[in-house]
Formats: sequence, structure tokens, C-alpha cells
Amino acid sequence: MKKILALLIAGSALASCAIQSESSNDIPKEITLIAYDAFTPEKGVFDDFTTQYGPKVNVVTAGDTGAMVSKAILTAGNPEGDVIFGIDNTFISRAVSGKVLDEYQAVDEGDVCVNFDKSWFASRNIAVPTTFEDFVKPQYKGLLSVEDPVNSAPGFAFLLASIHHFGEDRWQTYWKQLKANSVRVSADWTSAYTADFSGSTGKGKYPLVVSYGSSPPAEVMFAEIPLTDAPTGVITSTCFHSVEYVGMLRGTKHQKMARALVEYLLAKKFQESMPTTLFVYPVNKAAVLPEVFTKYAVRPTTTETFDAATIEKNRDGWIDAWRNIFL
Amino acid sequence: MEKHLLVMNSVTRVARRAQASVILAFALFFAFPVITMVVKFARVSELIHSITDQSLRDVWWFTFWQAIVSTVLAVLVALPFTWAISRHTIRFSRAMTGFITVPFLMPAVVVATGIKAILPNAAVPGILWAHVVFNVAVVVRMVSPQWMLLDRAIENTAADLGAGRIRTFFYVVLPHIRTSLRSAITVVFLFCFTSFAIVTILGGISHRTIESEIFTQAVRLGNTRTATSLAVLQAAVVLIVIRFSRASPLKLDDPSQTIQAYSEPPTRLRGVILLSLAAPLFIVLTPFVAVIIRSFTLKGRFTISGYRWLFDGSTESVGVNISHTLTTSFMFATLCAVLATTAALIISMARNRTSFIPVLTALPLTISAVTLGLGLIVTFNTWPFNWRSQWWLIPVIHSVIALPLSLRTLQPAIEAIPTDLYDASASLGASPWRTWARIELPLIRPALMRAAGFAAAVSLGEFGATSFLSRSNSMTIPIAIGQLLSHPGEMPNQSAFALATLVTIVIALAPQVRRRHR
Repeated sequence: MKKILALLIAGSALASCAIQSESSNDIPKEITLIAYDAFTPEKGVFDDFTTQYGPKVNVVTAGDTGAMVSKAILTAGNPEGDVIFGIDNTFISRAVSGKVLDEYQAVDEGDVCVNFDKSWFASRNIAVPTTFEDFVKPQYKGLLSVEDPVNSAPGFAFLLASIHHFGEDRWQTYWKQLKANSVRVSADWTSAYTADFSGSTGKGKYPLVVSYGSSPPAEVMFAEIPLTDAPTGVITSTCFHSVEYVGMLRGTKHQKMARALVEYLLAKKFQESMPTTLFVYPVNKAAVLPEVFTKYAVRPTTTETFDAATIEKNRDGWIDAWRNIFL
Repeated sequence: MEKHLLVMNSVTRVARRAQASVILAFALFFAFPVITMVVKFARVSELIHSITDQSLRDVWWFTFWQAIVSTVLAVLVALPFTWAISRHTIRFSRAMTGFITVPFLMPAVVVATGIKAILPNAAVPGILWAHVVFNVAVVVRMVSPQWMLLDRAIENTAADLGAGRIRTFFYVVLPHIRTSLRSAITVVFLFCFTSFAIVTILGGISHRTIESEIFTQAVRLGNTRTATSLAVLQAAVVLIVIRFSRASPLKLDDPSQTIQAYSEPPTRLRGVILLSLAAPLFIVLTPFVAVIIRSFTLKGRFTISGYRWLFDGSTESVGVNISHTLTTSFMFATLCAVLATTAALIISMARNRTSFIPVLTALPLTISAVTLGLGLIVTFNTWPFNWRSQWWLIPVIHSVIALPLSLRTLQPAIEAIPTDLYDASASLGASPWRTWARIELPLIRPALMRAAGFAAAVSLGEFGATSFLSRSNSMTIPIAIGQLLSHPGEMPNQSAFALATLVTIVIALAPQVRRRHR
């Protein structure tokens, strides 16, 4: 007992020393960037930041976007880090009303779209569907796999795209038709894309799946045998436009450095590294896209999207209505 | 009896003193965060809502029935196997016990992936199967030591008196193994009742347990209050189960009898024994065979590219550093094995007369991992407890979660040591500490190893509470597999199966190697 007590006291003394040295010194030794699990930046991409400003960048992953936001809300004001990367437009309102952020801005963008298996349609001489309305036609019965909008970010994005497309009064009818046309609802993206979908690693039965607009270049980059063409394509009229934000966490002790890191993440070097590491598009117009993206990724000319406040206001109602159709 | 208590005193006294610090640490790392959550978020109105809401009532119903059916199935699959290895001398019986324990050590995500490869569309059979796969080992490992101690002469007497096999089982064997079987059933039921990863992966959208609903409410829908209330109710149910299933004190066996327990299998029983061993092994190992086959095939061809990708560092491009992940996982597992086993040993040696401490340390089985995980984040965030981003918090929490299991493995073994042995040792002039080192410790060594093994397994597979902790360079194997599976492209996926296969092989072989070195 005594030993533990002594350890506790020693530990807290050390902790208080650490706090003091940080606040007395303008430049911290380290600055913490909170990000989602899929944040896999290029190796050494923060070296320039350390050279320029001093602190090392400590990347801390906090689960998927939903988990990251929930945790940030629970710790609002006493955050786990200084800067947070990757809250998207479906969650940013929740983060803002949870008083998580001091300031934030867009850092990257991308699309959630229905992907199709090129060879499946080509070998059967069936035309690739091109619109939301096509998915409920009899010739496309039982071909589409989507994710549960409650548990999956792309699943929710696809639901939002459909609500935006059909409007508040018709979207539920559409989903009932989809259900009648044997749409597959999987628990998460991994199940839908890698098990249900026929166009990637799985031997699934579904040639249509809700995934990202940048999934085709990923298929090329991570193919076992080098490919000259992407095995999958994107149905551009089904895309939901997603924006991810970077923000300074309320309660950070290193505001100046946090701002510097946000600037760094928005600058050309980091922005150009994002497509092939995070599979998102830069927001910095000066950033040049890599060839694998210009060749295999398709950007929709128009997208379905809502403003963040509308999403937050209606989220629970929409999800309840959707669950009532499927559960 | 009095004499026995007298000689045990100096050992017991030290153990009781050490126990106080174990309990303090337990309170700090478990009770503190959970109570913080409950105080912050639980509300009476929400508690009522969690029972009356129709959709949540469906969740309660599914949680109960799947846990009961899973437990029954796991026991039915495990008992023949336990009988075969406990009552007969069989070649390779240790290896087979090792194999049947493999799943228990595996991350849920691997089992779930394997089952999904076989049954892509069957949610409920998949969940039940996965629960059986995980829990057969629990029954085998907990019941077999006690079954081994049953004197064959008693069974023979029953047979001589005209009792058939079934009658003998119900009137002789069952009462003898009752305590350990009851503990095993309780543990399996609680594991299935609070199942999270399996249900999330295999359940699809319509099959939810309370535990997975707590996650959905807290993390997906942002309803921390509903989630915490569900967690409180879930804990209440689990406590009731523990209370009603509390094992009665073990009847101590005379160790001289155990010599006759094993026998060469009679020829007429060979077929039955073979089937009793083969069927459970088949049921339990098939998902892993599916994972292994899958790791060597891509689009119907044989390939080793998944393994190449793992070892040439390619996985770093999707955020997984394999050597780092393996080192971290095994370090955490070792730490957890040491911490949890030491704590369990101290508690067992303190020979508590009341059931207060065993019940207290069973609490981690009752509390939802999600609640504990969120509790850690909101509790360990201020001075002097600013530990939420410390790497050591992960193995410490693993130890807390593993403690109930380690304790339940160790305590019966210590209680089963005949008091005569202590008395004999004392009357020959041995000090209590010498008796402890020379008599008790050697006798409980197998149980200690088993307890450490369980703790290491909990650490290797833990995908609940600590997955809520933010990580900087401390990725464990289940999280790495999950990360690889959730990345688009052939190769990340292929290497996830390769990693799962490697873990399967290492876990299956480790005990065999250790045995050879002995």
C-alpha cells in the first residue's frame, strides 16, 4: 500500500514538473495531432515541421471518425491533443455543438459513390447503372451492397445522398423499393467492400457497392500484379461530397504551435502527399495530383450534399426512419 | 483444523497485506472510471426508457437467448472432449487440448472473418458458432482438472452396483465436477452475454446485443446517457448471474486416489473417444482453416503475396508496422500475464473467508467494455491521474479484465490442496514459508501456468475497453488486422489474412514448444 502511495506521489510530482516546464517554455517538445485510425501519412512528412518550428509531431489515432468525435466531446476543454484531423461534414456540427474546437477549416475532400465491378458487367453484356433510379429496376435486382448508416460513415453518406436526391418526401419510398429489390445491407465498409463486392478481393456476389470515389486508384496501387487499368469504376451521379476538417482543440496549451501545425497541414507539401496516402483530394489549389489519381479516379461534376447544420439537425430522425424500414 | 490455520498465519498475513494494495489498484483502474461514468451519465429516466423502449426490448431478448443457446452449445461440444482427455490416457492429448485452446487466444476479428468466409449470409448461426469456437476451451480447461481427480474406483463401484453409464454420469460424475462446471457455465454465459466484437462483425444490422447497442448509442449516436443506463442494467443482470451461480466450497480429494483416475481406453470405447475428440476439434478449428486457406489464395490461385507484403514493410503504407505491432502485443501479453497472475495468487493466498473479494474482482466481467473504455478517457485526464495516453495503461487495463479469469483458474487449485499436506509439513518442522515454497507452489504450478496463459490470451485478443484509448505507436494485433481489413485494395486485405494465419500458427505452436523444452 505504502509503495503504491509513494509511486502515486512520485508520479504526480513528475507530472506537475512536466506541466510547469511546458508552460514556462514557449516551444513545446512535442505537439499532438489526433486523427482517425485510417490516418496513415507518408513517412517523415512532418520532419520539415520539426525543422521549421521545433516540436516533434506525435500522431495519436483515436478510432474511426465517429469514435474520435465521441471521445473528443467527452474530453472537450481538456483534450487528448492539440490539433484534430479528419472530422468530416457529417460530424462537424456535433463537434462544434460539443464545444470541441476553437477554430477549424476544411483540409481535404472526397466523394462517397457507388463503385461497380467492370468485368462483371462487361462479361454479361449488361449496361452499368448510372443513376439512383436504376438500382430499383428489376435488371439490377440483388446487385447492390450498402453499409449500415448507423455504424458506417460511407453508409451514412450514401443515405444522405439519396435523401438529398429524392427529397424529404420521397426518400423513404426509394429505400423501401431498394429493400424490395434485394439491396444488401452490411454492418460496415469492410464487410461490404471486401466480402460482398465482386470487384475487389472477395468473391462476393454483388457487383455494385457503396465505397469511395478514390477506391479505384487504391485498387491499382495495392494490386498484387501491377494493373494497367482499374478493375472498378465509379457511378458519378450517386456521389456524396464529403469534406474533412482540421481544427485546433479547445483547451490546448500550445495555441501558437497548434496554429502552425494547421497551417502546415494546409500547405502544398502535405496536401500533395494526401491523395496516395489518405486517398482524399487536397483543398489547396496549388497542390498537384499524382498520375494514379488523374488516371483512375473520377470526380463527379455535381454531387449530392447537405450543409453540416442540416445533417446534425436531422441525423437522428433520418436514422430512426431508416432503421424502421430495415429492422 | 485449528493447527492448520495457525501454521498458515504468517503466509496468510503477508498475503492479506499485499491484497490490500491489489484491491487499491483495482479500485483505481476499474471502479474509479466506471463510477465516474455512472455518476456523470446514468439517469433514472433513462434506466426506465432502456427497459420500456420496444427496440431496446428486442435487443435484451436477443442478448439473453443467444447467450443461453451459445452456452448450451459450447457445453455440449466441450463435455465429450473433456471426458475423453480427462478419463483416458491418449496419445497427443496435450497437443489436442492445446489446439482446442487456440481459438480462445485468438482475436475475435480473426474468428469472425473465418466464419464469414464459410457462412457469408447467416448471421445467427455465425454468432452461435463463433461463441462455441471461443468458449469450448473455457469448459475444457476449467472442468478437466476436476474431472481428472475423480477416482475411477467410485465409477467402477457404481458400475458394479448396476448403474449404467448415463446413470453413473448423472449421479457420480456430475456431482463431482459440479463446481467447476458451474463456474465454466457462468463464465461462458457472461462472455456470450457481453459479446461485442463477434456480434458487431457477424450480426449485421438486425442482430444486436446490449453490449453492441451500448457502443452504438455512445459512439455512433452520441447518446452517452442511454448507453450508460444500458451498461448499469447489464451489470445488474451479470451480478445476479454471478450471485446465483456462486460455486459451493470444493470437496477436497485425497491425492492418493488420483493415480487411478486415468486408464487405457478399452477397445470398445476407442471409436467413441475418437469421435468425442474429432468432432469438437472440427467444429472449433474449421474457421481457422478457412483463414489459412484464404491467406494462400487470391482469385482462386495459390499465392504467398500476402506474406511478402507483410514482411517487406509494405503494410506501413496503410499504417501498420508489423514488427512493432508484434513486439507491442507480446510485451503487453507478458505484462498482463505477470500482473494478473500475481494479483490472483495474492488474493488466493490471502484465503479470504467471505466472498466479498472474489465477487469484487469478478466485476470486470460485468461491466461493458465500452463503458470502462469511455470511463478511462474521462477519468484519467486530469492531474494527478493524467494517464490516458500512457502506454502502460493498456496492459494494466488488460490485467484488470483478465483478473477474474486468472483468479477463477488459480483459486480452486489452491483450495483443492488437502489440508493434511500442510499439517504433515508443519509436523515435520517446516516453516509456513517453506511449506508454501515446497508444497503449495509446486502443486499449483500447472494452475499458475494456466492462469498466466488465460491472462496473456485476454491481452492478445482484447478489442473492447482499450480500443477506446487513443494510440500512439501502440497498435495491438487485433487492431492491426482490423486496420488492414478496412483498407481498399487486394494486398492490404491479403496481408490481413496472412497476419491472422501467423498469429494462429504461433499461438497453436507456442505451448508445444514450451512442453518440449521442459
